[in-house]
Amino acid sequence: MDIQTLKQKMDRAGYIYDETLATVLMVALKLGRPLLIEGAAGVGKTEIAKVMASVLDRELVRLQCYEGLDESKALYEWNYQKQLLSIQVNMNTENRDELTKSLFGDEYLLERPLLKSIRSEKPVVLLIDEIDKADEEFEAFLLELLSEMQVSIPEVGTVKARSVPFVVLTSNRARPLSEALRRRCAYLYIEYPDLEKELAILRAKLPHVDDQLRVQVAQAVQNLRSNEAILKKPSIAETLDWAAALDALGARELTPDILRHTAGFVLKSNEDMALLNEETHCGNCGGHHHA
Amino acid sequence: MPEHGVYLEKLSAFSRILRSEGLSVSPKETADAAELMTVLDLENREQVKTALRTVYAKSRDEQICFDRCFDSFFLSEEAMRKLAKEQIEKEQEIAQKREAADRELEQIPVELPEEYKNAYAGMAEKERNSLQRFVERIKDSMERQPELYANFIRSVFARFTMEQYMLSEDAGIGCEGLDPELGLMYRDISEFKETEMPKAIDMIRNIAQRINGELSAKRKNTGHSGLLDFRRTIRKGLETGGTFNRLRYKKKRHRRKHLVLLCDVSGSMVQFSEFALRFIQSLNQVSESSRTFLFSENLFEADAFSLQNMDLFRNYVRQSGVYGKGTDLGTALEKLCAMQPAALNSATTLLILSDTKTIDQARAVAALKEAKRLAGRVIWLNPIPESKWQYIRSVQTMASICTMVSCNTLSALASACRKLAGV
Repeated sequence: MDIQTLKQKMDRAGYIYDETLATVLMVALKLGRPLLIEGAAGVGKTEIAKVMASVLDRELVRLQCYEGLDESKALYEWNYQKQLLSIQVNMNTENRDELTKSLFGDEYLLERPLLKSIRSEKPVVLLIDEIDKADEEFEAFLLELLSEMQVSIPEVGTVKARSVPFVVLTSNRARPLSEALRRRCAYLYIEYPDLEKELAILRAKLPHVDDQLRVQVAQAVQNLRSNEAILKKPSIAETLDWAAALDALGARELTPDILRHTAGFVLKSNEDMALLNEETHCGNCGGHHHA
Repeated sequence: MPEHGVYLEKLSAFSRILRSEGLSVSPKETADAAELMTVLDLENREQVKTALRTVYAKSRDEQICFDRCFDSFFLSEEAMRKLAKEQIEKEQEIAQKREAADRELEQIPVELPEEYKNAYAGMAEKERNSLQRFVERIKDSMERQPELYANFIRSVFARFTMEQYMLSEDAGIGCEGLDPELGLMYRDISEFKETEMPKAIDMIRNIAQRINGELSAKRKNTGHSGLLDFRRTIRKGLETGGTFNRLRYKKKRHRRKHLVLLCDVSGSMVQFSEFALRFIQSLNQVSESSRTFLFSENLFEADAFSLQNMDLFRNYVRQSGVYGKGTDLGTALEKLCAMQPAALNSATTLLILSDTKTIDQARAVAALKEAKRLAGRVIWLNPIPESKWQYIRSVQTMASICTMVSCNTLSALASACRKLAGV
């Protein structure tokens, strides 16, 4: 797919992108490489995979990573109950070898996201979300899948991909990923959107909201993000929630009072809220000194 | 349009440059880049840059390095013209300055090397005037003792050259603009702002976690000690009727090092010491027992409770009465060596966190030698960047006695702790 077609499809999906993102996606598609996306939480990493599923008209298969994630949750598991039942039912069978062999057939295999993505007849978009949360062992296990597009199941052998999925890995940089994994991927780093892009997102996603309010919300969020003292910066999704909430409350303007009362949509910690209260309060009373 | 072969040749050279800058570029990446060249609009410089960055750079710091290399390797036509113009102007300016400097230097009756003449040409007018006035003042004395004053004037030039060199070597400058996290990693710890502390502490935790992971991975493959384990060999042999099919060896004992930390908490050092201590606390697995001593003019032991958080540590140091005073390493080390029961023994690694600036250096050197004799190993963590060590005599002296590692940035601190953990 050339870059123009990709852009047209993203436009049709209502996705706001910049030239860099379009080029990186085109490169990943052209080279057939998994795409590793890094950036702070809430910059829209996961959204890229969802949009690609829509752009490529493919099913999105998602694997959410967490500490302790293993092959049985990510790749496959045998349906033990069904295997036991089968053994019970066929206990008196003459051909025991045949029975044993049948127990490790497709019928008893529970596909998990990774296996599902490579055994699918139609290519899918595989999202491996927050890979930095998974253990290093799991990361090593992924290497075979990402480079060879195949996995090894001891009882069955090597399972080669029927179709090649477009793989998107996301990471919040909670821990550094291995060099081996990085080398197998195309890499994209995304930052929070600038005012213009954030406003474009607000306009695209919330067309019914008053434009003055959208501008004020985008500006306020930009200010919060640039404030070094704010520990948890607001995400794009939170900006959208905030604007929608303000609209639902009938607000036409973002006054300091409304900002204080609804800031819970964008600030999610006590310290950040206290800081905002302090700053908006001081802003209102003309900068005099407080005891 | 240039031939395809030209691009391939350029790409191959570019890959070599990236490798020399520390990026791990395999032939696969170059092949991918070459493949992309066939589909990219080569007139669109930004698109080509983004596409190649996606292929070659695999992390945020690699991206920054890539951008720098790309911009200097693939110059746009406009940039090339601008650069050539700037270069000509610069050369003309230097030549003019040098000419003026040579005229002025004729007034100074001292033979100066070319390097110093260039340094003089680069000086601000104010500094040049002050040097001229100084020479004018000592002119009479110079005639009496020409060699002595010539040496003095040369030393003034040497100092200026050194200062210029040091200024140009400050690492990490401008990094934070591109990526705040990366900036913190490579910026001088003493320059951290109050608001950057939570992020820096978070990074410390991550780095410590990573180092701990690396260490436990190392421990898995340590093998046996080479000593035969008779009990296990005979017991296993009984299973096969008394035939010793396989000899069993005693496992290697992992003796953890006892760590003694000696931290300089004089005014200039306190911020650095806080970070270093937090780091070492996070790396507690390295040592089964560690003791921490703080010193400035005096020495006292910090309890584990006071090291739990930065605020507590700061208050503790301030209340201890040693904060912000002068540094007397000699006294501190003497007291440490004389401690009963002994704080230092052959299983101890003594870790000194200090910038080597101390009163009574001769005493400090003697005490350090004694401490080295008593402890199994002495490692000096120095917050002064390694590039500046050659200009500071006290650093050179201490470095000749014990192992010294630079740790002025979080990145350097991490690599120093990795070295320490590897002992």
